[in-house]
Amino acid sequence: MSNLNTSRASTRVRSFFRMIRTSKGLTLGFIIVAFFLLTSIAVVVSGLLGARITPYDPIKQFVGPAMSGPSWSHLFGTDKLGRDVFSEIISAMPTDIGVSLAVVSVAFIAGGLIGSIAAFKGGLFDETLMRVTDLFFALPALVLALVIAVILGPGTLNMTFVLMIIWWPTYARLARGETLKVAHQNYIEAARFSGLGSIRILFRHVLPNIFFILLVYATLDVGTVVLVFSSLSYLGLAVTPPNVDWGQMVNLYQDNLLSAPWLPLFPGFIIALGVIGFSVFGDGLRDALELR
Amino acid sequence: MASEEQPILQVENLKKYFPLSEGFNPFSRGGKKNVKAVDGVSFSLPRKKTTAVVGESGSGKTTLARTVTLADIATSGKILFEGAEISRKKKSRKKELYRNMQFVFQDPDSSLDPRAKVKVSISEPLRGLVGGTKSAVEEQVFQSLDAVGLPREYAERYPASLSGGEKQRVAIARAIVTHPKLVILDEPTSALDASVQAQILKLLLDLQEQYSLSYMLITHNIAVARYLSDFILVMYAGNIAEYGPTKAVLAKPRHPYTIAMIASAPEPDPWKRNLLSVEIKGEVPSAINPPSGCKFHPRCPYAEKICTEVNPPLEEIAPGHFVACHFVEKTA
Amino acid sequence: MDELLKVDGLTVEYNTSLGRAKALDNASLTIEQNKLICVVGESGCGKSTLALAIMGLLPRGVARTTTGSIGYHSTDLNSLDEDKRREYRGTEIGMIFQEPLTSLNPVYRVGDQIAEAILVRVAREQGMKDTAARSDVMQKTYNSRSAAKPSRFRIRRRMPEALRKEVIEALKLVRMPDPEEIIGRYPFELSGGMRQRVMIAMALAEKPSLLVADEPTTALDVTTQAQVLKLMRELMKDVNASILLITHDMAVAAQVADQIVVMYAGDIVEDASVFDLFSEPLHPYTKGLLSCIPTGTKDDAELVPIKGRLPDNRNLPVGCKFAARCPYVMDVCTKKRPGLIEAKPGHKVACFLFGQ
Repeated sequence: MSNLNTSRASTRVRSFFRMIRTSKGLTLGFIIVAFFLLTSIAVVVSGLLGARITPYDPIKQFVGPAMSGPSWSHLFGTDKLGRDVFSEIISAMPTDIGVSLAVVSVAFIAGGLIGSIAAFKGGLFDETLMRVTDLFFALPALVLALVIAVILGPGTLNMTFVLMIIWWPTYARLARGETLKVAHQNYIEAARFSGLGSIRILFRHVLPNIFFILLVYATLDVGTVVLVFSSLSYLGLAVTPPNVDWGQMVNLYQDNLLSAPWLPLFPGFIIALGVIGFSVFGDGLRDALELR
Repeated sequence: MASEEQPILQVENLKKYFPLSEGFNPFSRGGKKNVKAVDGVSFSLPRKKTTAVVGESGSGKTTLARTVTLADIATSGKILFEGAEISRKKKSRKKELYRNMQFVFQDPDSSLDPRAKVKVSISEPLRGLVGGTKSAVEEQVFQSLDAVGLPREYAERYPASLSGGEKQRVAIARAIVTHPKLVILDEPTSALDASVQAQILKLLLDLQEQYSLSYMLITHNIAVARYLSDFILVMYAGNIAEYGPTKAVLAKPRHPYTIAMIASAPEPDPWKRNLLSVEIKGEVPSAINPPSGCKFHPRCPYAEKICTEVNPPLEEIAPGHFVACHFVEKTA
Repeated sequence: MDELLKVDGLTVEYNTSLGRAKALDNASLTIEQNKLICVVGESGCGKSTLALAIMGLLPRGVARTTTGSIGYHSTDLNSLDEDKRREYRGTEIGMIFQEPLTSLNPVYRVGDQIAEAILVRVAREQGMKDTAARSDVMQKTYNSRSAAKPSRFRIRRRMPEALRKEVIEALKLVRMPDPEEIIGRYPFELSGGMRQRVMIAMALAEKPSLLVADEPTTALDVTTQAQVLKLMRELMKDVNASILLITHDMAVAAQVADQIVVMYAGDIVEDASVFDLFSEPLHPYTKGLLSCIPTGTKDDAELVPIKGRLPDNRNLPVGCKFAARCPYVMDVCTKKRPGLIEAKPGHKVACFLFGQ
């Protein structure tokens, strides 16, 4: 990796790709993540433009014979209402990826800030914030989801908010732990001797040093959110039929494992691919960034 | 303009206590317990000279350094920088102080932000305390790197690619970039190899001459103190045991603790095996429940009744040479 | 003088994420009975690796011994499998480490830990291999029905009197004040110097012939260091053992060593008696190291640092590793690596200035 890092954007982008290529894991993870992201964007964009990139309309029933296995015309087969499984999976991509990225991003930013500020200030402020965090930790996801569904109604957006509320405490705890480690380092003191106030020190020295640890955790977390979101869909609280979601498909068709295995296996496979892809990417990212 | 004679730093009866239990404890038996890290210390640092503060663990030397730089707030006592009291500085005045007083830490690895380039670390005091245009700041960073003997290309490097000695040089470059008058060095070479230590010691001497710096050197290494310092302050359990010109104190120490400490310092000379004939009993006392009277009395071969009752004050036994001992004549 | 341990041509490599590093490069040295040998060097010179190799404690999977042997009483320790190796470790060859706080188990009392060391020795003396059969040892040796593992003793209640006496004797051997009181304490209740004494007591409980000490006093205050070093020299006589002391501090070596071995970047560059080394250092690195030690005030002696920096063990130069920093460098130095030769009787050096 080049040590003469100038701040010109093009060199940054180039060195990013060079770094990706340094490890096979990182490259693989990046490819998978890129695939997911690009496909999601493609689906959304094409939807907005009124076009469609999937071979069939995912919610249209009986585009092929029901319960038929994988074939050239239906890559992943069809479900019991004759819908094309491949199209369903692709069209669910923006929802699943979008929701999990949104939840993780918000949790990362909110939790990260709360945890690091608490640890940095210390004292009563720290104690109070941590007790608030504990409170949110204690909220049971499903119960909260049901309550919100009753009050505000079900739906993807509402459930996304539920997940955001549940998810940030872990990041707060993580950020707090890492900040405590950093806060004792001499360079923080040196920054005080340079006349920097606490806020500037937090943003200039603390956050950059905890950012990557949180980021790696976040990439590993993306898959987990997908799974939790899918269980909410299964309960009918999030994605409701006729729309589809991967987890929902897995849960719905698990009884067909022996009779029509393509039904639960393909969505399950795509979930696994997503989880693995993001984790490998996160892992590789951490290794690559450590060796600066 | 401050006169040449005026000491750069004066400390009067400084005390720093750390309360033992923080937080709310309903079961505490009342009666606040304190860690008496610094327990009544008075001295002055002469300009353009190096004063070594020597002691072992629990002596309070690091706490003293931190209190003097206002990293910790003193419990009581006065600190005067160039004659002006700084003990109760407000934030805005602190910046002014730090332009003239900087700190070099012991551990080179944690002194530098691993995510910041060398030039960012070195320029931080400039950006925070002095200001200036980007190019002016950059030029000063380069001059600092020159002064510590590092190539200018190092400005773009990250700390991970530097050796321990080089990191310490960067830390020193950062400390002198605002051209301070006083630099406080906390064990600057303890974490370094012998050959690197020698390079840094030489560098510190050169810089002192080049920039007319005053140094306060915290160390437990007598050899380093002897080499670098003009004056030496020996601390024991939060008090000053002995204080005076380095040559005089090390040649003829008068406080029983100083005598024992110097006798324990290994000489690189196999024909002078002083170490094996040293007899010093006991351990450094607890800072929470220090011994009554003179804190060294449990280990002192000359201790008598008064030593268990009264903590001896510093007395001048020769010009500029002070000792805190009731029976200093016994070590003559 | 009898030979106790002979290291011959030992090379150890580490697998790091950035390549293979040669921590020890064809190192050879001999430890005689009842002598204190100091291995002196700076970071990366391989002194800790040497200690670990002798103990057989090199991190597995990461470190590999590629050549050489460690001969102890005509057995090559490196050729033994782990089980056999273990018999030597702790019994014949003991080790103490730099940081006593992490070497002692914080949740067990100090007396318990020393007792455990004693029991291991007793078990081995009785020919018992399986150290889990503690109850048997207790039964046989101490006539005690206590099946409890020593770590669960309540010192004042269940430890058999004979064992307790041995523990106190062990502490008295290391000149610990108030041993009866100390055995009931936890490591965190003791000071650094006392903890180090406990470590020494545990190592000596096995009655080893060789004690390997890796920077045992670096973390201690100077007055405590003096006490511990003095103790170690006295113990050598009392217990009839040799000590291999690893240190970076030449002054410490001057004070306690009989023999000094100087290492640089994995090589042994000089090996001589302490008096020969200090009166006539031969290797340019040794000379440089000695002139680095501040001895007077800044006005007295000129401190001459060694220019340059330590080499990277992953990227070693061809030829002598010190050539780049050597004030006496010759042409041959950058091409060939000097071997360790006996330049004077009992004084070995690896430098082309002295022939070969």
